[in-house]
Amino acid sequence: MTLLMLSKNTCLVLTYNGLFQRECLSIHIGQAGIQIGDACWELYCLEHGIQPDGILLDSKQHQLENANMEHMSTSFNTFFCETRAGNHVPRALFMDLEPTVIDGIRTGKYRSLFHPEQLVSGKEDAANNYARGRYSVGSEIIDLVLERIRKLAEQCSGLQGFLIFRSFGGGTGSGFTSLLMEQLSAEYSRKTKLEFAVYPAPRISTAVVEPYNSILTTHSTIEHLDCAFMVDNEALYDICHHKLGVERPSYANINRLIGQVVSSITASLRFEGPLNVDLIEFQTNLVPYPRIHFPMTTFAPIISAEKTYHVQPSVSDITAACFELSNQLVKCNPQLGKYMACCLLYRGDVIPKDVNAAIAAVKSRNSVQFVDWCPTGFKVGVNNHPPEVMPGGDLAKLRRAVCMLSNTTAIVEAWARLDHKFDLMYAKRAFLHWYIQEGMEQGEFSEAREDLAALEKDYEEVGHSS
Amino acid sequence: MSDTGTSDVIGRRVEVNGELATVRFSGIVPPVAGLWLGVEWDNPERGKHDGSHEGTVYFKCRHPTGGSFIRPNKVNFGIDFLTAVKNRYILEDGPEEDGKEQVVVIGNKPVETIGFDSVIKQQSELSKLQDISLRSCAVSGAGDKGGIAKACPNIRKIDLSKNLLSSWEEVICIADQLQHLEVLNLSENKLKFPSVSPPLTGTFSSLKVLVLNRTGITWAEVLQCASAWPVLEELYLESDNICISERPTDVLQMVKLLDLSSNQSIDENQLFLIAYLPRLEQLILSNTGISSIHFPDAEIGCKTSMFPSLQYLVVNDNRISQWSFINELEKLQRLQALSCLRNPLTAASPDSKEAQTTRQLIIAKIGQLKTLNKCEVLPEERRGAELDYRKAFGSDWKKAGGHQDPDKNRPSEDFLAAHPRFQLLCLKYGAPEDAEFQIQQPFMLKNQLLTLKIKYLNEMDQKVLEKQLPDSMTVQKVKGLLSRLLKVPVSELQLSYESPKVSCPAKCKANPSSPLLASDSSCLPVTLTANGITCLPGSVPVVLFLTGRVHRTCFVRSVLILSPSTFVLILDAGQRNYTRK
Repeated sequence: MTLLMLSKNTCLVLTYNGLFQRECLSIHIGQAGIQIGDACWELYCLEHGIQPDGILLDSKQHQLENANMEHMSTSFNTFFCETRAGNHVPRALFMDLEPTVIDGIRTGKYRSLFHPEQLVSGKEDAANNYARGRYSVGSEIIDLVLERIRKLAEQCSGLQGFLIFRSFGGGTGSGFTSLLMEQLSAEYSRKTKLEFAVYPAPRISTAVVEPYNSILTTHSTIEHLDCAFMVDNEALYDICHHKLGVERPSYANINRLIGQVVSSITASLRFEGPLNVDLIEFQTNLVPYPRIHFPMTTFAPIISAEKTYHVQPSVSDITAACFELSNQLVKCNPQLGKYMACCLLYRGDVIPKDVNAAIAAVKSRNSVQFVDWCPTGFKVGVNNHPPEVMPGGDLAKLRRAVCMLSNTTAIVEAWARLDHKFDLMYAKRAFLHWYIQEGMEQGEFSEAREDLAALEKDYEEVGHSS
Repeated sequence: MSDTGTSDVIGRRVEVNGELATVRFSGIVPPVAGLWLGVEWDNPERGKHDGSHEGTVYFKCRHPTGGSFIRPNKVNFGIDFLTAVKNRYILEDGPEEDGKEQVVVIGNKPVETIGFDSVIKQQSELSKLQDISLRSCAVSGAGDKGGIAKACPNIRKIDLSKNLLSSWEEVICIADQLQHLEVLNLSENKLKFPSVSPPLTGTFSSLKVLVLNRTGITWAEVLQCASAWPVLEELYLESDNICISERPTDVLQMVKLLDLSSNQSIDENQLFLIAYLPRLEQLILSNTGISSIHFPDAEIGCKTSMFPSLQYLVVNDNRISQWSFINELEKLQRLQALSCLRNPLTAASPDSKEAQTTRQLIIAKIGQLKTLNKCEVLPEERRGAELDYRKAFGSDWKKAGGHQDPDKNRPSEDFLAAHPRFQLLCLKYGAPEDAEFQIQQPFMLKNQLLTLKIKYLNEMDQKVLEKQLPDSMTVQKVKGLLSRLLKVPVSELQLSYESPKVSCPAKCKANPSSPLLASDSSCLPVTLTANGITCLPGSVPVVLFLTGRVHRTCFVRSVLILSPSTFVLILDAGQRNYTRK
């Protein structure tokens, strides 16, 4: 039982040294990771006034000087690296086992933002197969990827950690990530590794073997990741469809929404000086045991662009909306579980006293239940910078927004659902030959499945009152 | 609160226990002693009467239960702007206590906060504030002259929605002191707007976004004030009961976005009054009850000069039920994006087949549309939609006088009015063939059979064989069958056929357009690629031509009309390097 074992990764460097930047490296793996990355960096650039060619927008800088915010001009260097020529290059690596998706970036609007070395693509795809991503195809490219990561890490004065973007269901996202994570945790054992993962949706599915891939990758990366923020396509699809009025949401619509959420989560790392470790502080609260590191994400408000200014949700409105099922980015019912931690990351025009009132109101209205062994309930952070929205996007310009990260035992529902799908196929050994012929052993499947069963059990145990 | 004695309270906005109202009367209401204020509530259900008491009419209300009498001491007349800013952004406790932050305990768990100290510190520096929100802060006026300019001169964006501002002059007093003001939100203030144009003072010289949702402003008042907004780009007038009464001249010329949603009295004639705003790119007309539009200045297939820059139109939640609305939108010069959800026309549930068809039709009808209901229209989708549209309305077109021959093609006016792009699509993809009009039969062997008329041209009598074959049969199989029937070796069989699309009898001799040789691997019906025809649908009777000898060298031997739909026979000797003349 690994539940009570402290992982080495939880000992984090929490000290902030003003001399060092606390840089974060983003690694985008597979189609989902890359397309989310595209949306994220597009938004980061907008928020920091960086043009598609990497040059800082002059008028914006002028504004900043006006406001006399000297912190701001440097704090986004945690995510961008400034070259001598004055270009700002994202500290990011995009990798895929096949070239078409990355070619989209190579030829897209932001093509000159990235250095060609940051875009790594192979020639043969993983074909939705964990085994190809990890063993046969992935092993050919891993050395190149690690070398590029080393190069990016060398440009940092005080690398804080890695943000990994990927999907559980795809071959590259599942297989290659697990290979990479093993290498990364050997090489950068003391760095934080956070993950944004697209979890297979209950009803929408892109590949029949998604449950295999998800469970294999969860098993092989659970030891190496500190925290994994989950979103699922179905929840996002429903938000786009019902709340944003998108008739048939495409990946582009969904990824913009994910981008907005990721931006809210990372805002504290990108803006202002003294506070830019606070995501790590939140993470300390969010992960009570190393294996229980899958917080659920919720975002509010979600208002469609043509309703801009029709409603102006207050701090209490958006706080209350965080506890509504329709704002969750994972399909599961938190009423059925208990919260272990609940972090609210506000941004924009938010007054601390409003936050306190809003949380008190939520507590009185909702049945927000915490596990009894946890000393604190909510943890709240505020960032001054309002969210930006892409011009012509689906979301309305907001004055304030909140992103809630909550570690709840209810998410076990999502794992149980996945395990069940796995069992249905595995009982008949269906589709197994695709994995075996790439050099995997059947034992790996049963081992992974047992580990997931243990994870379900872990969640059950932490939910029990002592 | 403040002075309530004299008549200057009339017209002021007040707050009583969270409800907003306008003061309509101040004075004595016999028989009860003392001073009373007569107020008209924003929420008409809050009051008790219409302003009259025991037969005497003290004031008038729009709603029969919209009025009340209230003692002045229960009424909040609001505070000035600067006080509101300080209340919100500076802690009342003052700096002495700031070391000890109040810990909120909810249930039995404390709430941990991060970064609140620095946020409070930053916010309390009023002079650096750029973006402030004073929603529901009971702001009623500007306060001391120059006070705002001194305390917080850097404000660029203000949200002043749901306050107690009672007149536009008060707004001017506030805005006057803010040089950099770019975004101003005045929603839900029942403002009294000036009836004549206020003098130009340069107050709103940098204002780009103005939000006047639910303020009760009229169109005439908008135009009166608009001369003071020289660079205004976005104007929001949601739920204002706007009725566009005159054409904006020399004002609002920079406006790019106009939100007129939830104004129920807007109709198409009113839209023509704003049709010549030169920069208007985005027009939001959700929930306005609009049902039709017609641009009278443009003929079918022409572009209108109205809305010259309009790129994005939102007409969600309206009463659009006629396709003519969509047809008219085709006339807009720059329209790229349309959002048309929840209208009778598009009311089918979003995943159903009808909704898909509606989407396809809209795409086919508006040629330059790039985004529909926030979903990008990809080139393949457009092509599919246009081909389907051309096919679906092909028989109507034929009935209305359309013809494959361009010289005979005279579709009626009615048809063109209903399908303005149809002729264009016929040019793009070729006119639909007769066979395409046939309604798909249920899947039965009988319906899958093709009738082949086979001519063996080597025989002098040119006997026509008729065979019924399934359309999935390959040419190779047909050859095998024919070789058995006609006792000719397969290697010597040469098949060719032609459809009326490829040539017509009159032109054949002059231009023996290439008879398309059916290759062995292709299915029957064979795909035609000449002249833009892509395929022959399932049940076309195909005519096969046979020659027994390979070495014949005639190009066109005979042309025959077999049926009224002009099937043409061209005999080909099957030499390899067939050359067109």
